[in-house]
Amino acid sequence: MSSGENRDEEREAKERRRIKSGEAMRDLMTKYYMEAKAAEGTDKHIAWITSGGPVEPLIAFDVIPVYPENHGAMCGAAHMNVELCEVAESRGFSRDLCSYARGDIGSAITKGGPIGGLPRPTFLVCCNNICNTVFKWYEELARFFDVPLFIFDTPFVRGGLPSHHLDYTRRQMEEYISFLERITSREYDEAHFVEVAAKSLYASGLWAEVLACNQARPAPMTCFDAFILMAPIVTLRGTQEVVDFYQGLLQEMRDRVEQGIGILPSEKYRLLWDNIPVWYEMRNLGRLFMELEACLVADTYTSAWTFQEVDTEDPLEAMAAIYTEVYLNINLERMADKIESLARRYEVDGMVMHSNRSCKPYSLGQYDLAKEFTRRTGKPTLIIEADHTDSRWYNRAEVEGRIRDFVENLL
Amino acid sequence: MDARMTVEECLEMWRNPYPRLARMREEGERPVAFFCSYTPEEILHAAGFTPVRLMGAVRTITHADAHLQAYCCSLARTDLDMALAGELDFLEGAVFVQTCDTMMRLSDIWRRNTSFPFHGDLVLPIRMGEEISLPFLVEEVRRFRGRVEEYLGRSIRDDALEESIHVYNRNRRMADRLYLLRRERPGALDGLSATACLVAGFWMRREKHNDLLHHILEEAEAGKEKAAEKLPLLVSGSVCATPDLYELLAELDAEVVDDDLCCGHRYFDAFADENISPEEALARRLWQRVNCPAKHQCLEDRAERLLRQVGDSGAKGVVFFLQSFCEPHLFDIPYLRNRLREELGIPSLVLESELQSFSRGQLRTRLQAFLETIRGV
Ligand code: SF4
Ligand code: SF4
Repeated sequence: MSSGENRDEEREAKERRRIKSGEAMRDLMTKYYMEAKAAEGTDKHIAWITSGGPVEPLIAFDVIPVYPENHGAMCGAAHMNVELCEVAESRGFSRDLCSYARGDIGSAITKGGPIGGLPRPTFLVCCNNICNTVFKWYEELARFFDVPLFIFDTPFVRGGLPSHHLDYTRRQMEEYISFLERITSREYDEAHFVEVAAKSLYASGLWAEVLACNQARPAPMTCFDAFILMAPIVTLRGTQEVVDFYQGLLQEMRDRVEQGIGILPSEKYRLLWDNIPVWYEMRNLGRLFMELEACLVADTYTSAWTFQEVDTEDPLEAMAAIYTEVYLNINLERMADKIESLARRYEVDGMVMHSNRSCKPYSLGQYDLAKEFTRRTGKPTLIIEADHTDSRWYNRAEVEGRIRDFVENLL
Repeated sequence: MDARMTVEECLEMWRNPYPRLARMREEGERPVAFFCSYTPEEILHAAGFTPVRLMGAVRTITHADAHLQAYCCSLARTDLDMALAGELDFLEGAVFVQTCDTMMRLSDIWRRNTSFPFHGDLVLPIRMGEEISLPFLVEEVRRFRGRVEEYLGRSIRDDALEESIHVYNRNRRMADRLYLLRRERPGALDGLSATACLVAGFWMRREKHNDLLHHILEEAEAGKEKAAEKLPLLVSGSVCATPDLYELLAELDAEVVDDDLCCGHRYFDAFADENISPEEALARRLWQRVNCPAKHQCLEDRAERLLRQVGDSGAKGVVFFLQSFCEPHLFDIPYLRNRLREELGIPSLVLESELQSFSRGQLRTRLQAFLETIRGV
């Protein structure tokens, strides 16, 4: 066989492994960002919202939702977040604050980043179910843009969800709706809201099925692919386009499973990933894991957008409950339950935890979770030090060395 | 005992409260730790506990690093370290209030790795002062009471709780007087002494502290004043685990005339209403007291309040004293500093504290430089 044929074969195999829905996703997201940017300065409402916030009411009120965290991920992946962070730091924001927040504040000031900044919000929606950092960040945005801020306050849950929590969040859902009625001068249309909520749940159900395809061996994607492919479910759930997109993606994943197409040329180990991706390092880490024949088959991050069944009798209450019990808003034991269940379902050989310097809710407690994980599953864990978008704290040689050692010692 | 000696004792406790805490058990007290000024101490008090506040300690971390990353505030790290090292075995338990992300996670880590008999959690809304969150807060306080009762195996009588509320309200009234005195007659009571007398209350039964404050106030209010020309300053931030900052300022001829600290003004702000049900009174107080930066500011903008405090106290500069890695405080700093500078022309200094690498010398150098700029030398 000539080496030319060899290369052709390799190229073909690579093409076979490539996830084709990626293009549809890029188109969807480009269109979304273009529309959002074009809406700036028109009478269309634009709301900046946190990633864990209830977006369905915005869609129902025809408001364009914009996600600074998704933008932060984009800036991180484009290696542009550090310069944005530095802008915020020069204004007195500490280097120890969440790097999404710093980068976002920097980008608001300079309009910097790969897409020239986000469109100016007409109002803000902040939900603290992911951390208590976001409301400080959004307070700053509210001052900067001088626009109204709605806070959807989701108290931390230990054990089950007590009824007074639900009363509080349910009442805030109603308040949220009145807030939107006031701002948009439109009336709440429950039938339409239910429709949006149903689409959102349906899309999140599809997303859950997409992720579940990775239970197959070989896994049709890695969680690094999932980090990218989740953009629509984070930003636009509740719309028909998103439903269509995930239907397409699910079909592709099922076909891959059926045909035995794995994402890696060869899959020897299966690993679980914990925490937000190291956005600026995805390529290198992806390559490293591929070389080590280790597939990151599941993670704790992307599954945050898979919601359980809800009852559509009382959609507001259902939403309130869903948004309160997300992964970062529950105690360590419940987190351990989730990790353990992922480990069993996806049959992993170990877990890699990203100890994320500027994200405390996700990272504090990891040492205890790691121990608990090993105790329950008998599998090892590796904790690597990084930051989701601030690469100044990252030591590539050290992290890669530790990953190599870890994988090479897996049984 | 003369007032000077009382102040000296308070200072001693502030430097190191732990030997005294360790003796509490033998003296028949049942100390339960709390960290946050949003703790409804009255419930613990009525249950027969002595609520004692942990504010960290200057020490080298030996145990906590196995549970908390280094990018976490030194209060959490040193408190946990002491607990894991067995140095807090005199405690019957601890109460965690949800404020920041660190505290939220620390509660679980603490519970899983220590074996104190009692562990309490209180989940607070971040939207304080808004009608919508009040019922939730009242219910949380009720649940907390229930949790304590369950542990005790008996109920806490309403009249006992009312009595505790009364004791704490009296304490707050005297703390107010103490602050007023120090602001208006700094020659009669200086900032270091006033703060020492206040924080000493974290490590004794409230009744005892009431006696102490009463005694100090009587003497100081009657005493004569020596006019001391010192540079007036305001300190804003979280807690001062040691008196070093205050001592250094005094050495450098500056006087702290008011504060916005959670071991100071924010601790005793607002009274619990003695005419409504105790749970509601406690909840309402927490809900309407001056906001900490870990809560959403909707009642009153923090900057407005700070500006007013600076104006009223005549402070010529503000020292922000906070913990490294403390997100709630660090987020507010640029805004507060801008407003101070732009509206009042007041300069400020930001000092970050890390108790595990505490250096008095460095602190002194930075303070000295700051004071020199204010004095224009
Ligand atoms: S602190 Fe963590 S959870 Fe919160 S916004 Fe930043 S990255 Fe997200
Ligand atoms: S100092 Fe800051 S980070 Fe530490 S416990 Fe207090 S509020 Fe939280």
